Amino acid sequence: MDFITDPFQAEFVRTGALAAALVGVLCGVVGCFVILRGMALMADSLAHGVLPGIAIAFMITAGGAAGEEPDEAAITAGALGAGLVTAFATGLIFRRSRLREETAAAVVFVFMLALGVVLISRVEGYTVDLTAFLFGDVLGVTGGDVAFTAVATAAVLALVAVLYRPFLALSFDRQRAAALGMPVDRLHLVMLVIVTLAVVIGFRVVGALLVLGMLMAPPAAAALLTKRLPAMMLASAGIAAASAPLGMLLSWHLDLAAGASIVLVAVSAFVVLLAVRPVPR
Amino acid sequence: MARASLADPALAADGLTVSFGDVRALDEVSFALPGGSRTALLGPNGAGKSTLFRAAVGLVGAAAGTVRLASRRVAFVPQHIDVEPAFPVTGADVVRMGRYGDLGWVRPFRPRDHELVADAQRALDVEHLADRRFGDLSGGERQRVLLAQAAAQDADLLLLDEPFTGVDRPTHAAARTLLQRWSEQGRTIVVATHDLESAARDYDRVLCLNRRLVAFGPAETTCTEEVLAETFAGHVLRVGELLVDVAHHHHGAG
Repeated sequence: MDFITDPFQAEFVRTGALAAALVGVLCGVVGCFVILRGMALMADSLAHGVLPGIAIAFMITAGGAAGEEPDEAAITAGALGAGLVTAFATGLIFRRSRLREETAAAVVFVFMLALGVVLISRVEGYTVDLTAFLFGDVLGVTGGDVAFTAVATAAVLALVAVLYRPFLALSFDRQRAAALGMPVDRLHLVMLVIVTLAVVIGFRVVGALLVLGMLMAPPAAAALLTKRLPAMMLASAGIAAASAPLGMLLSWHLDLAAGASIVLVAVSAFVVLLAVRPVPR
Repeated sequence: MARASLADPALAADGLTVSFGDVRALDEVSFALPGGSRTALLGPNGAGKSTLFRAAVGLVGAAAGTVRLASRRVAFVPQHIDVEPAFPVTGADVVRMGRYGDLGWVRPFRPRDHELVADAQRALDVEHLADRRFGDLSGGERQRVLLAQAAAQDADLLLLDEPFTGVDRPTHAAARTLLQRWSEQGRTIVVATHDLESAARDYDRVLCLNRRLVAFGPAETTCTEEVLAETFAGHVLRVGELLVDVAHHHHGAG
């Protein structure tokens, strides 16, 4: 039993696992719609699109002075702003160009990523820890971060609950959703905003690259098990939340990066379920 | 239970023009369908039948002109529905979605909503598909579930895009019975179809479309050879069990 309980004696492990589990529940639920609407690349674009916002927030609050700690709230606000710009710019290009949304997302994605790198390269005397941005810092999570994550997660999940029916109808078939009187274009935009919120809440804990893992792997695993959306959401949230302490355990004993271990566990759940479930007719 | 009067048409288009880039899918189309009427929408593939439906429910915008509905209670069954096999909804979930329009985002199902869902499932014989995953159903079963969803909407206006194309016999029969019932209930029905024989027999109006409105009126007086030749210019047409190539039968009409 010590094997399991030992790591969680340390407060920073408990705090990190809790924050990651909360992010898992959030991404597990929101990710169901990402999968059902085929928005994986869009989610990827949103995850990277937050970078220039982080860079700008850092430049403003830390003033480029070496060693000065960037303001956490400003970083979050910057990430959110840049994520929203990514979502709306993609929508604008999509409508104006008549290209596929995937293409529009990719164009905005590379622009935002390049812009972020350019901005960071301008910051004098300080190299923003890109690793923390991309892969997160689960073990550096504070009690305040957990409280913020909990409140933000609850708020976004409440929003998803209110929008459950229109989101289900939109994901099922856009034309029929429109015929049911639903404002499909605005709903799509709201869905992008919710994915952005999940990314912004999640990247602080597991990083921008790995938040994508939490958005994709648990819902994909849950989709193998369930035939109704509420069950899929529950299973996905459960798999994602369970991946957090399991990943931390793995990370502790094998001395692996914590955030990446959590995502590895979530993806492993998918692979195992794919292998053991009965072959569909 | 007349749901709309002649003075207040159930569906009316006035100079409706829809463009996709340089292509005019609909060109100054005008008509008015009285409440409670049954209209067959005739036209070859690419004539703008689906576009007309999509414009009516607001999925495509008009470049010019207007399309107006007397009631917001409209059910639209598109010809194609692209649902991935693993999509997590059951047959019952899909029928229940038909109530979302009336209930809005969060209002819980009332006894009347459950009744409408159960009635719709019975009418289309999809009760046994309630717990099956929608993606696992056959083409005909899916179409019946989608028609049941439309029935559960309790709509005043029903727009069905080729509901009889490529379906099995039981689905065909169920859809016909349903149309009959809807008509008796005073609902306005528009069905896009290639079946001329059925258009003349089962509907009180035909609307012949080929990007522009070719003709509109009672089937017996409207479906003249000339009108059909113009509507289906150059296309192969299905009359009952026969396939007729309009271009060959009406030289010079194409």
